[in-house]
Amino acid sequence: MRRPRFRSLAGGAAGIAAGVIGGVLLASVSAAVPTPVAAAPPLIDATHVPPALTTPGAAVRLRYGLVCTPREDGLPCDGSGVVYLRAGQSGPFRSYTLRRGEESRDGRYYLDVPPSLADSPDGFSYYAILRDDATGATTTVPSGGADAPQVSLPLQHPTTIALGSHVFGDVRTPDARAAEAAWGSGRDDVGLAGSRELGYTGPSSFDVEPDGTVDILDSVNGRLVRASHAHREHVPLDGTLELADLAAEPDGSFDVLDEHATLRSFRSDGTSKWAQKLADRTWAKLEHGPSVLQEPSEQWMPVAEDGAPLTRNEQKRGAHTANHGLIVDRVGEGELLLAEVRGNAPVRGWRITSETPLGEVQLAEPHGNGAVVVTRAYTAGRDEFVVLVLESRGLVQRFSVASDSWTETAPLARFRLARGALYRLRTTPAGASVDRFDLEVPQ
Amino acid sequence: MRTFLAMLVAGFALSGVTGAQAYHRFWATCNSDAPTFMTTMTRDAAQDYANAARYEGYQWGGGCWNYDDVDSYPSDPPQETGTHGEGGDCSGLTFKTWRESTDTTRDGRYYWRALRNVHGPYDAASFRAGNGAPNHTVAKATAGVMDAFASSTHIGMVFVRSLYGGDQIVEAKCETCGTNIFYRTYRGDSAYGGVGRWGWTG
Repeated sequence: MRRPRFRSLAGGAAGIAAGVIGGVLLASVSAAVPTPVAAAPPLIDATHVPPALTTPGAAVRLRYGLVCTPREDGLPCDGSGVVYLRAGQSGPFRSYTLRRGEESRDGRYYLDVPPSLADSPDGFSYYAILRDDATGATTTVPSGGADAPQVSLPLQHPTTIALGSHVFGDVRTPDARAAEAAWGSGRDDVGLAGSRELGYTGPSSFDVEPDGTVDILDSVNGRLVRASHAHREHVPLDGTLELADLAAEPDGSFDVLDEHATLRSFRSDGTSKWAQKLADRTWAKLEHGPSVLQEPSEQWMPVAEDGAPLTRNEQKRGAHTANHGLIVDRVGEGELLLAEVRGNAPVRGWRITSETPLGEVQLAEPHGNGAVVVTRAYTAGRDEFVVLVLESRGLVQRFSVASDSWTETAPLARFRLARGALYRLRTTPAGASVDRFDLEVPQ
Repeated sequence: MRTFLAMLVAGFALSGVTGAQAYHRFWATCNSDAPTFMTTMTRDAAQDYANAARYEGYQWGGGCWNYDDVDSYPSDPPQETGTHGEGGDCSGLTFKTWRESTDTTRDGRYYWRALRNVHGPYDAASFRAGNGAPNHTVAKATAGVMDAFASSTHIGMVFVRSLYGGDQIVEAKCETCGTNIFYRTYRGDSAYGGVGRWGWTG
């Protein structure tokens, strides 16, 4: 074989170099053509934290934030708005113009509710329409407007419970382990994904069926794990399941609410029944029905009726403040207001205070002749869940539950109340488990 | 000459592999314009800015997006800056929303347009520690609109507090979930600390 000469080696190298450079240049030229930007409609959104429960005699200020298309000069949007208010929950609304303040931390637009309405024994109801004066775009909060306004009720003579300063480290041991699985993709496993840099995801939610079967949404493996004493069953599921919430319905079907605000209903074998977008842009919690706590309305909205999905407008019209007959209002740094309502009237209420800051309310549901609340106590470096069993006269039971979790779950999906007991989803470096805590029953 | 031509063809073929293409995707539409120095910076204008980045995707190490409500390059492999897709990552979105300087000693207000490709010098852990002249830690219980919660791996900004005690958080979360407003419970989670930006004017 003839040895290659220097000139042919150099020519070959130059050819490769020229080819690669030419190819890259051509690729860059073709890809550098800017993607045409569609003419998007003007952005508009609003923020509002409703005073769902008020203290009689206290002044009430409604605050709104207005969110618009970013201005070229970097200033906030120039907006305006009107609040439609009425005493109680029926009759005509009266309009009040929002004032524009200098500070936007709690919402730049505000209205001081007239005392005659704020002090109404039946509370008041209201909605607001905010407008971006630059584009004319408007948004209504809550999204149901006059059909399903925000409701604010006076908390008359609440039972006051002072939790004091939370003592960390004294967590209760579960009464039973209802289900457990190691990490993996095998039959007895649940999936783990992610990395130390990105954080880990695993089973994002769970539920407990009336017969005690524990359903774990095995998001990473794309399936539902149904675990009972006798056996374990897998139901394959399509679609995005990461950080999704789950509700098992009494008829054996189940609902999955994903991060893109789409609720999908599945038959017991995992085949799809229907999918429906939520009315609002964001959600906090999925409940049986299915019903969803939606944002920014801060209302529970039904998403289906008699097994059929509701349109977005139907969801808005069906919105309400109470869930399971309870209204929750986490105020300030460490205060939780809770009211039981019957029809549109509060029957009894609780005012729970804590010297340790309180985080989210994971669960608030009736239990016996009282209620169960699970909230989180936290400091800069520690946090634990606090379980409170309430009755009319005060506290029946209180204990702490460990809150550490190896993976991220749907936001308010760590606990379920079923069969008179409290169930908790927990993940550790070894795997996932659902534990049961038996509760005292208020008489 | 025959060798040169043969290798030229081979070179063209080699240039077609993914690695060479990857450097010329969405980032080719971005720019390196200087930011506008501002004397004001309000929390609701920051809400406007972050809200407009919704649906524009997530890019590890990124900080460039348009306003067409579509992620031009979804589902890229995670943790690869070289994919050059659309969107910021969590710290890039925060840096631009908070109008910060690439010089960590400066605490002025610098308005970066959406298509300006800049990530900034901070990762989530740096924000969590309050590093940099414009940043500081805040008590989580008092964190308000456009303050943030940061862990060693993630940061998200408070869009508004919520009735059940969680928060609506605007964040660039991950490749599959993109940039959006999600309900989160970071406030009570001890993995997260509170972070703020000095210099809000309203």
